[in-house]
Amino acid sequence: MAPVTRPVINPVPGARRSFPLFKAGLWRWVILIVAGMYFLLPLYAAIRFAGIKAYGDLIGASGFTSALWLSVRLAIITTLITLALMLPTTVYVHLKLPGLRRLLESLTILPIVIPPVVLATGLLQVAPASLKNTPYILALEYVVLAMPFAYRTIDAGLRALDLKTITEASSSLGAGWTRTLTQVVLPNLTTALLAATVLTVAMVLGEYTISSLALYTTFPVWLVTNDQSSATVTVAGSVFALFITWLVLLIITVAGTRRGRRTGRQVSLFTVARQDNRG
Amino acid sequence: MTMETTPQTGTAASSLSAGGASGGASVRLDGLTRRFGTVRALDGLSLNIAPGELVALLGPSGCGKTTALRLVAGFDFPDAGAVLIDGTDISRIPAAKRGMGMVFQSYSLFPNMPALDNVAFGLRMRKIGGTERRQRAAELLDMVGLSAQAKQYPHQLSGGQQQRVALARALAIEPRVLLLDEPLSALDAKVRLQLREQIRTLQQRLGTTTLFVTHDQEEALSMADRVGVMNKGQLEQIDAPDELYARPATAFVAEFVGVMNRIPGVLESPEAVRVLDVVVPVKGSSSSVAGSSMVDVLVRPEGLIVDVTENGNGIVTTRTFLGSVTRLGVLLSGDVRIRVDKPSTVAASIPPGTSVSVTLPSAPVLVAPPAS
Repeated sequence: MAPVTRPVINPVPGARRSFPLFKAGLWRWVILIVAGMYFLLPLYAAIRFAGIKAYGDLIGASGFTSALWLSVRLAIITTLITLALMLPTTVYVHLKLPGLRRLLESLTILPIVIPPVVLATGLLQVAPASLKNTPYILALEYVVLAMPFAYRTIDAGLRALDLKTITEASSSLGAGWTRTLTQVVLPNLTTALLAATVLTVAMVLGEYTISSLALYTTFPVWLVTNDQSSATVTVAGSVFALFITWLVLLIITVAGTRRGRRTGRQVSLFTVARQDNRG
Repeated sequence: MTMETTPQTGTAASSLSAGGASGGASVRLDGLTRRFGTVRALDGLSLNIAPGELVALLGPSGCGKTTALRLVAGFDFPDAGAVLIDGTDISRIPAAKRGMGMVFQSYSLFPNMPALDNVAFGLRMRKIGGTERRQRAAELLDMVGLSAQAKQYPHQLSGGQQQRVALARALAIEPRVLLLDEPLSALDAKVRLQLREQIRTLQQRLGTTTLFVTHDQEEALSMADRVGVMNKGQLEQIDAPDELYARPATAFVAEFVGVMNRIPGVLESPEAVRVLDVVVPVKGSSSSVAGSSMVDVLVRPEGLIVDVTENGNGIVTTRTFLGSVTRLGVLLSGDVRIRVDKPSTVAASIPPGTSVSVTLPSAPVLVAPPAS
């Protein structure tokens, strides 16, 4: 499960001694440095530009707390609805309708293909009136956007599990559906669910188009609006958001590896993404 | 194709004397039919299993043996027919309420639980208290020789160990019937042999009625009280292993169990066939080859007479030492290749290239339509 393909090490002693760096991984380093620069330079520039003082100003900036709080609430609601919808659906399709897996996969990809504008206007047409005037209508739209991430991670988690045999074993031992789900399936899906959560949260915290169209000041909308009055504070805000996201990712990855060590399956965000490629 | 189905009421067949604590239940499958689309996976399967008996269902893949097991387990439901345990029809009862112990080919241990918790799972579902539960689970792990691995997670165990945990887990609930679905097929040869004996010993000690599904004839013949050979959703024959080998009821059984030679022959009458220049009686009836006088005669490698002669009807091409017997490959005139078993001491003087005469004793033989 090494993230980088290891070069074959020549077993002949002495052969490796000549130019270890060049032989083994010169290109690896070149690629790492170039790609690293691509990500780190803008980040460094942002931190330099904002300066230390901006982070203090950020807390007091008008609208910052309420915008951030709105985004956090939306992230929580979106995650809950998404998991409540996608988990039973995916489990059910895996067990009872494996033939529909491809169809479901294509369906969940649709939100990526359809422009957010279309989704936003479409949802406004059908949403209940009571929701139309609250920002929580955004959560409904985000659920649609989060579907691909949630489906793919849960699907990968289930595929690593031999779900059919495990649920059959559980039911032959006397467990009904509820207990099979809560005591056998869910405990083996925690990493996949965590990954789905992180991806959903990250998506909601960064979503701009729909919320600005709907005229609600979520965190990204606030960043753009505020940029016109105080650029440094805005940049400080985005750096702050970036670190929060990284922190969450880090926690998930660490939790995933520790669990993996215990149960023998190294499932993390990145392995989930890789398993997806198998189609 | 006509098939002779002989579902014996296997009371005498059970070699069991122990009659363990859990006591076996009797199982009756009554005309079980299951269709998948237009395919009849199971076509009127009837079978009786006596309490404490181990019956193996043997057959090629797609013969319906696994479908039958799943219907008994309750993972699937029959389109027609019934499953009766101790005389009670359970065909419509869900798997969770049947009390069947199931062992799968793919181990199917819960990856999030250590071995002990896996074994205790069924007891937990039965609301048995913590102390008693752990004690009983520990006893069962001990029974399969894995006390030391109680705290290990499935991924830390070898395939053979995982399957023993799965066996302990299935037995922990004191199942009315133990169902084994190709439990040894994923293991390597040596472990397979050990586990085969372990399963049989435990099963006899506990007296648990057991239905065992396999495609491996050696496994079925060595473990089961009776073996049912299945083909195309139907039971061709069910008998004790030695009976099945010595007196196969149909050509399919004859060729599926053990090694079988096919030698072309000509029907002289419905009851007699000319083969290798002798006329021998036909076993059972030749109705399966009705309409043609050209047939194949089925003979076991040990059922042929071979003598070394000048200008015989065959020539020895290969010689394979198998221990007490040696298998000779013989090429007969007409490009027919057969295998003949001789005691190794006799075969030592018959090297490849020897001219031999091959013939049959006058015992009744099975005939089959010629292989295309």
